Amino acid sequence: MLAAEGGMGEFKVHRVRFFNYVPSGIRCVAYNNQSNRLAVSRTDGTVEIYNLSANYFQEKFFPGNESRSTEALCWAKEQRLFSAGLNGEIIEYDLQTLSIKYAMDAFGGPIWSMAASPSGSQLLVGCEDGSVKLFQITPDKIQFERNFDRQKNRILSLSWHPSGTHIAAGSIDYISVFDVKSGSVTHKMHVDRQYMGVSKRKCIIWGVAFLSDGTVVSVDSAGKVQFWDSATGTLVKSHLVANADVQSIAISDQEDSLVVGTAEGTVFHFQLVSVTSNSIEKQWVRTKPFQHHTHDVRTVAHSPTALISGGTDTHLVIRPLMEKVEVKNYDAALRKITFPHRRLISCSKKKQLLLFQFAHHLELWQLGSTVATGRNGDTLPLSKNADHLLHLKAKGPENIICSCISPCGSWMAYSTASRFFLYRLKYERGNISLQRVSKMPAFLHSALQILFSEDSTKLFVASNQGSLHIIRLLDGSFKHLHTFPSLSGTVESMCLLAVSPDGNWLAASGTSAGVHVYSIKLLKLHCTVPAYNFPVTALAIAPNTNNLVIAHSDQQVFEYSIPDKQYTEWSRALQKQGFHHLWLQRDTPITHISFHPKRPMHILLHDAYMFCIIDKSLPLPNDKTLLYNPIPPTNESDVIRRRTAHAFKISKLYKPLLFMDLLDERTLVAVERPLDDIIAQLPPPIKKKKFGT
Amino acid sequence: MVQLRPRASRAPASASAMVDEGPPASEEEAEHGLLLGQPSSGAAAEPLEAEEDGDDELEDEAPEELTFASAQAEAREEERRARETARRDKTLLKEKRKRREELFIEQKKRKLLPDAVLEKLTAASQANIKKSPPKLKVSLQKKNEKCEKISDSKKTKVQKVQSVGQNKSYVALRLKDEDLRDSRKEAAKAFIQNSLYGPGTNRTTVNKFLSLENKRLPVKKAAVQFLNTTWGTQRKQNAKKFARRWMIRKMKTPKK
Repeated sequence: MLAAEGGMGEFKVHRVRFFNYVPSGIRCVAYNNQSNRLAVSRTDGTVEIYNLSANYFQEKFFPGNESRSTEALCWAKEQRLFSAGLNGEIIEYDLQTLSIKYAMDAFGGPIWSMAASPSGSQLLVGCEDGSVKLFQITPDKIQFERNFDRQKNRILSLSWHPSGTHIAAGSIDYISVFDVKSGSVTHKMHVDRQYMGVSKRKCIIWGVAFLSDGTVVSVDSAGKVQFWDSATGTLVKSHLVANADVQSIAISDQEDSLVVGTAEGTVFHFQLVSVTSNSIEKQWVRTKPFQHHTHDVRTVAHSPTALISGGTDTHLVIRPLMEKVEVKNYDAALRKITFPHRRLISCSKKKQLLLFQFAHHLELWQLGSTVATGRNGDTLPLSKNADHLLHLKAKGPENIICSCISPCGSWMAYSTASRFFLYRLKYERGNISLQRVSKMPAFLHSALQILFSEDSTKLFVASNQGSLHIIRLLDGSFKHLHTFPSLSGTVESMCLLAVSPDGNWLAASGTSAGVHVYSIKLLKLHCTVPAYNFPVTALAIAPNTNNLVIAHSDQQVFEYSIPDKQYTEWSRALQKQGFHHLWLQRDTPITHISFHPKRPMHILLHDAYMFCIIDKSLPLPNDKTLLYNPIPPTNESDVIRRRTAHAFKISKLYKPLLFMDLLDERTLVAVERPLDDIIAQLPPPIKKKKFGT
Repeated sequence: MVQLRPRASRAPASASAMVDEGPPASEEEAEHGLLLGQPSSGAAAEPLEAEEDGDDELEDEAPEELTFASAQAEAREEERRARETARRDKTLLKEKRKRREELFIEQKKRKLLPDAVLEKLTAASQANIKKSPPKLKVSLQKKNEKCEKISDSKKTKVQKVQSVGQNKSYVALRLKDEDLRDSRKEAAKAFIQNSLYGPGTNRTTVNKFLSLENKRLPVKKAAVQFLNTTWGTQRKQNAKKFARRWMIRKMKTPKK
């Protein structure tokens, strides 16, 4: 799986494909209209927040937990986020400190569904034991108010009437309509179990939606989308859309369009259209099918301009609706988000080690090596295979938040939501021994980001209280040096760290508050980079010049001189001319920046689909030049080469690219994760008949 | 003595008819009685005799003749009695329930600590606990110890319950609750697994799914998964079972 290859004419590339990472499937999505943010929960309990205004960047995440499995997710008043799951707890997330505010038992067994009232002040949960419980949302907590009439079967889906007077609850074989004031059932609508003429054991109502005219829309395991009149409890219309379960439904705020997701991976769009061209009478019509998923679509959401869907195949798909998009620009294109927008891999350059971070374990690999040489583009045979040195299982049910290996390869650290672990690695004649550094100080219980200094003598930890800790590492022990408190009352936590190779400067960035630069020598804040609207996706400090390179989610790249406390000339020139339009249209954020030790004019950066070397000495490309130019053949004359060359040298050879770094002057390491390998490890999809196979 | 038999056999039949079918049945009975009453007694005896024919005994003696009014009265009496017993049972049950409820309330009261103690506990100062009755103190200490043990052994599954002291080094939890919670969670997971991937859900395997794509590609590629690990599962299991039995047999034989 590893190949050393002469690529880009000047580098030997380790092409790593043994990072066996499988993202967990998406269980719920919840869209918040006010902040234009999307909350996504996965089957391992992780909750991610995507900022749709900031180029769909995953700006926050809450690590998962084995004992929690999120089944429902919703936003309430003042952009508070709640989740509920099979352990029977309702959890509120603190979006500032990126931690769980509290978990409260609903005492109804596993929770299947949750819905916030239209006003956002009440929360409704549907439980395994058939109870529907109403909670009042108070400013700092939630409070149980009352139970509705208990049903015989589990409540799998819930929906509020927009006026807040009634609710619809989907159970097994029937839908109940409750009156909120009295808590009693006003109507019970039984669903036909028949499925393509065959009676199934039961018909599970996977989702309901209550419209303001009293129509209840239900989706069920028999593959039907049904429209009911809640006033009379009668079936109005039934659409058979799939041969398998229809698992999710979402409706737009205007109630003129709705979206359903099926187990076959198809997403159907329904629209309310006039029966004839100029009549007032309208009816629901199935308009468009979308097949962007291969597996079950467990959840859908409807933003004002797009259909959002996610499922077992781990992709988050955002499909803008053409008729709702005003400007036909690149924002109207389909987005498919598969990989996390953060680094899961760290690298020890000196020892050629890679540390892979999984949800519950870490893997340490030694890269292979080759003695063969070849021409440009050749695949070289390995003389020594890559070696799996270490498999470290994390204790407890919590997922790993972040991990790091020191550049010298002798220290390793990782953190879960409640504990921080530091290990000392020793290598003796091919053997590796691991020793845990015990008695970590009490303040080090959780970290959002860990970083070792270039000489591996210092450890920087960004805690979720917004403070930064500096720890000096001695042989086998440690000493707490300093803590930078969170800045001026903000509790916002820092997510990204970068340290200068000379060890004098530390740059830290939060989810939105800009980048702060600290002087490690003087142990004080040096400066703050002028605020920018979009969140930072990657940070790095160049050697010698101490220029801070910042990549933002809107694909802008800035270079800021730390000693001069201002943007560099090159950065200003770049901003003046602007980036190439194709550069700005890339889908994925830049997740890693590094530098060439011998060529100070080069900046190396990558996202999931390309690797780029920015050569600051070359002219900047304008919109007329070709951005993705192939490597010019060597036999071309110098003049042509100079004419076509520009500052951005881009390679799309490796994808999906999760990590790329420079090991030494002539060696690169690229970690790829082919999508087919991920699909091969997913749960089985629905069988579909294909003609001619 | 002889006359009693048909009466005895008849009366329960009418009672059962009443219980089973209610008033309409009794009406039918009355109609039948009317029909019997109209002709002479000899004519009435005939069908009764015919009924008795099957029994082949006591043919010489006719059963006692019943007038319609007496039969009706008897039936009414029977009905009344049945109703009465039902009512009595109901009242008895009600009384029993009431008594039990009272007992429960009393028990609950007995279980609860005195109000003063409860107040002190919520204040949760060590001094207050010392002031409380010695018996209670011992039980509290025991509880604390137990809790500590539990939290030591099961630190991972932490669920906060009201902590009695200020000491936050432990959390109290009831293992019974945890078990219940886990079993319910497992049941819920089994339900979702069964309804999504269980029998009748028409799932294919990943390998088949990927090969479907491969079949239509102009360039055919190798299968993603070469090895079928599910192949011959039954035979493998049998072999394993056999090996184990063989081992046990081998272990036993040298001893003999």
